[in-house]
Amino acid sequence: MATVTISKAERSYIQTSLQAKPPLRADGRALLDYRTVLLETGVAPLANGSAKLNIGKTSGEGGGGTEILAATKLEVEDIENGEGVEGGRISCSVTCSPSAYPHISSNALDDLQYDYTTILQQTLSHPTLHPPNLGILPKKRSWLLSLDLVVVSDSGNVFDALFMAARAALWDTKVPRTRPVQYRANPSGRSSGDNMQVDQENDQETTSGFDTRQMAATAADFELPDYWDEGETLGGREKWPVCVTLNILPPVHFLDANVHEEASVPLRLLLAFSFPPNSSANLQAMRLLGPGELDLAQMKSLIAYGQKYAKDLFTALEVKLREEDTRRNVKARTRFAAR
Amino acid sequence: MISFASFPSSSHDFSDYSTTRHHPDVEDDIAMDFDLEDGDFEDATQKLIVPGEPLTSSHAFMRGHGTYVDGEEVVGSVAGTVERVNKLVSVRAIRTRYNPEVGDLVVGRITEVQPRRWKVDANSRQDAVLMLSSVNLPGGVQRRKLESDELQMRTFFEEGDLLVAEVQAFFADGAMSLHTRSLKYGKLRNGQLVAVPPVLIKRLKSHFLTLPCGVDVILGLNGYIWVSKHVKESQQEGEEGFDAEAVYSNKNDDIDDATRAAISRVCNIIRILAAQFVPLTDAVLLEAYDLVVEQEGDVKDLLHGDAGDALVTALGGRG
Repeated sequence: MATVTISKAERSYIQTSLQAKPPLRADGRALLDYRTVLLETGVAPLANGSAKLNIGKTSGEGGGGTEILAATKLEVEDIENGEGVEGGRISCSVTCSPSAYPHISSNALDDLQYDYTTILQQTLSHPTLHPPNLGILPKKRSWLLSLDLVVVSDSGNVFDALFMAARAALWDTKVPRTRPVQYRANPSGRSSGDNMQVDQENDQETTSGFDTRQMAATAADFELPDYWDEGETLGGREKWPVCVTLNILPPVHFLDANVHEEASVPLRLLLAFSFPPNSSANLQAMRLLGPGELDLAQMKSLIAYGQKYAKDLFTALEVKLREEDTRRNVKARTRFAAR
Repeated sequence: MISFASFPSSSHDFSDYSTTRHHPDVEDDIAMDFDLEDGDFEDATQKLIVPGEPLTSSHAFMRGHGTYVDGEEVVGSVAGTVERVNKLVSVRAIRTRYNPEVGDLVVGRITEVQPRRWKVDANSRQDAVLMLSSVNLPGGVQRRKLESDELQMRTFFEEGDLLVAEVQAFFADGAMSLHTRSLKYGKLRNGQLVAVPPVLIKRLKSHFLTLPCGVDVILGLNGYIWVSKHVKESQQEGEEGFDAEAVYSNKNDDIDDATRAAISRVCNIIRILAAQFVPLTDAVLLEAYDLVVEQEGDVKDLLHGDAGDALVTALGGRG
């Protein structure tokens, strides 16, 4: 699935450099070094959560790097009549900008998008990762969380970038608060013409009108209370997985390959790990890409390595995401103060 | 090892503009009308303009590339420098694809093998064409290309191969035709490719540079730069008595680690200079390499932090 073609001489140059002792990469990085990752959350004002990520952008005015835009949008779905599912569902889609892949045909581009979409969809919509707060009304309404990612440019390591961007966007996602409401015929029948009346319902005699605890079971619809923030964060946001791509050129493996390195390794192993708090790591997805082969013993050791790298990546990303949260809070406060 | 950073903040907050105060003299300049007469238009030739900037009167001048006519004025449609030939005003864009000219040296990559020709990606608007009749045969024999040569075109160049060539002519549709009919030109091996914006490559006396660290650099005018191990003059492929078959070889020579490190370092220097938009010439490259070697840093240190800024400052805006 190489997106670029390189000459045999280039491929052999890269391979011999990697297999030399000590190994040397085209830009002098060590085997396990990532390029600098730039990340910003909250880039799309109309989305419920969004993130922009760039791996390996050159400093100054120069462009380059693998750039991903990710955004989530919540839609209400009808469970009885529509496509909704009890407890909500997640739908991912990845679009590749043609300018990211100028050399491949539009059909090949569709295939590529489909590949990216499949792996993201299968990994992120897995029941073990499902956020608890995507339901609105039991058996009636639920949220559809659409996660859309755009590959703006590709200079290698798209899978890691996609998962990181997805995690950042989901981390940033705010689910609007909802309050169930009930339609009930007015028992006294005061108004004959309009006997359906929207009401924050409860038995007026016995309980307070503010008590909505019992309503979830019988509520017909919901409303969005006006509240000072955009909503609550998506539940279980610590669980979203990160992906590491191990580029395998026996006997070495390395991380964060650029496009030329990707084109010259026979095998790539994708490992998506989730690190739920207070429990052990989960391997959420695994893919082998490329024509090379691997025996089971090697695979086992590679997975163990992968877990270690993923943990490092996860920790670094977590720190960055919390930093972004703080930064945006500060920004919001200064904007508020300026008004 | 992974490090995260934030995107560089987008240049300025727009609210700042309204509050920017200028020196009274400068304010006069800003208010100055750009309606240039024939005489004082000369001053503006080296000026950088932004899209939408009025250049001159549409009555006195004709619009060229990168401009359009809006009412009474010729307006620039790209960011770049203004150029004028007699009454024709055009803007040469800063960020653009490569505009080929006959005689330019380019580095390209084969994208397609077609009957009697190869298609070459040379960072231009269209793929370039390399005709079978414009390549040298292995062994340097001079003869007409036969049908048997047509059948084994992939033994010369196949998809993905890199080559250095010269722009020979243009087709009617503007696509360029290349040739490799010289011992200097041909297939590339023993190194790696770096791509930079084509405007950064200046026309030099020679685009084949040899750096003292045992590295050859080919500066393609299309912005593709080939950095490879130095090959001695006497051992160049296709020379008399030397391995003639090696012209189209896909095998790399043995390259020692020091040379590989030097190649990586040169590539990183080129990337940094390109990121800082420094035009690349042989002098700049040589000086930058010396500076980097003096600092004795690791190859990858160049890509981190302020190393790039420091390097460009040290070069002192030369080039």
